[in-house]
Amino acid sequence: MNMNDKNLFGLWMYLMTDLVLFASLFAVFVVLRGQATGVGGALFETPTIAIETFVLLTSSFTCGVALLCARERRKYLSLAFLLATFLLGAAFLWLEVSEFSRLVHSGTRLSSSGFVSSYFALVGTHGLHIAVALIWMFALLVAVVARGLTEGNVRKLTLLSYFWHFLDLIWIFIFTFVYLLALL
Amino acid sequence: MTLTKYIVGYLFSLCATALAFGIVELHIAHHHRWPTHAQLLPTIVALALLQFIVQMICFLHLSFKKEERLRLLAFGFAAIVVGILTSGSLWIMFSLNGRMMPNASQMEMYMQDQNGI
Repeated sequence: MNMNDKNLFGLWMYLMTDLVLFASLFAVFVVLRGQATGVGGALFETPTIAIETFVLLTSSFTCGVALLCARERRKYLSLAFLLATFLLGAAFLWLEVSEFSRLVHSGTRLSSSGFVSSYFALVGTHGLHIAVALIWMFALLVAVVARGLTEGNVRKLTLLSYFWHFLDLIWIFIFTFVYLLALL
Repeated sequence: MTLTKYIVGYLFSLCATALAFGIVELHIAHHHRWPTHAQLLPTIVALALLQFIVQMICFLHLSFKKEERLRLLAFGFAAIVVGILTSGSLWIMFSLNGRMMPNASQMEMYMQDQNGI
């Protein structure tokens, strides 16, 4: 096991514990989703959710392409795809935050019902992960512009891409179990 | 790690997502009568799981190859923990009523029934 593999394995162990964290939030959500006071599917806007899903999935793809370009030391192509990933990720976060603020403005509070509490906890935790990943991605963009595709930067990009793909993976279950089930 | 793998993963995920949204929209368009909940629920859960597996292979490069063995092992363990955690929680929480001790008046009726007290 060389140094790169060790770094990746370390990140992977973190991702696996994160998976358990999200699983417990999902379990809480599924248990509490019946505990709603007069709210339900009407709370969410389906087109927004579909767009969010599409944006995050596309950003996951561009992130992978950015990594491939970086491995071939094509700096500007890699930077372009990484920037696209960053912008798509930021768009996703913006959509999510505006969704939250729309809910709050329509009188939904964290304490409104068990359903809403567990919804904010689950989707909010995912959003927080996205925000942290975006900060990491921005720092990496600056580092690549400043020092180019050094060994260290490519390694960081590899780790970041795994983290980013993982967040897209969690989103599959959020749109299925949170949003689609609410529409039924 | 090739471009083809990423493209395949991306296209598959797009299709699975569109399909999941599509059949739910179909369900709403038919006034929640067709496809029925019993048909719909397993379908969208299966689509999500399928997409999860495809992304695990195409984006997170998990495989049965020797160099990925440790990561696969860690994932297997996490999957077991997740399975116990979620199914256990749901099992307990959705069978609470059946496991409750009956209230005093129900208990009295039961005892009269059984023992003629």
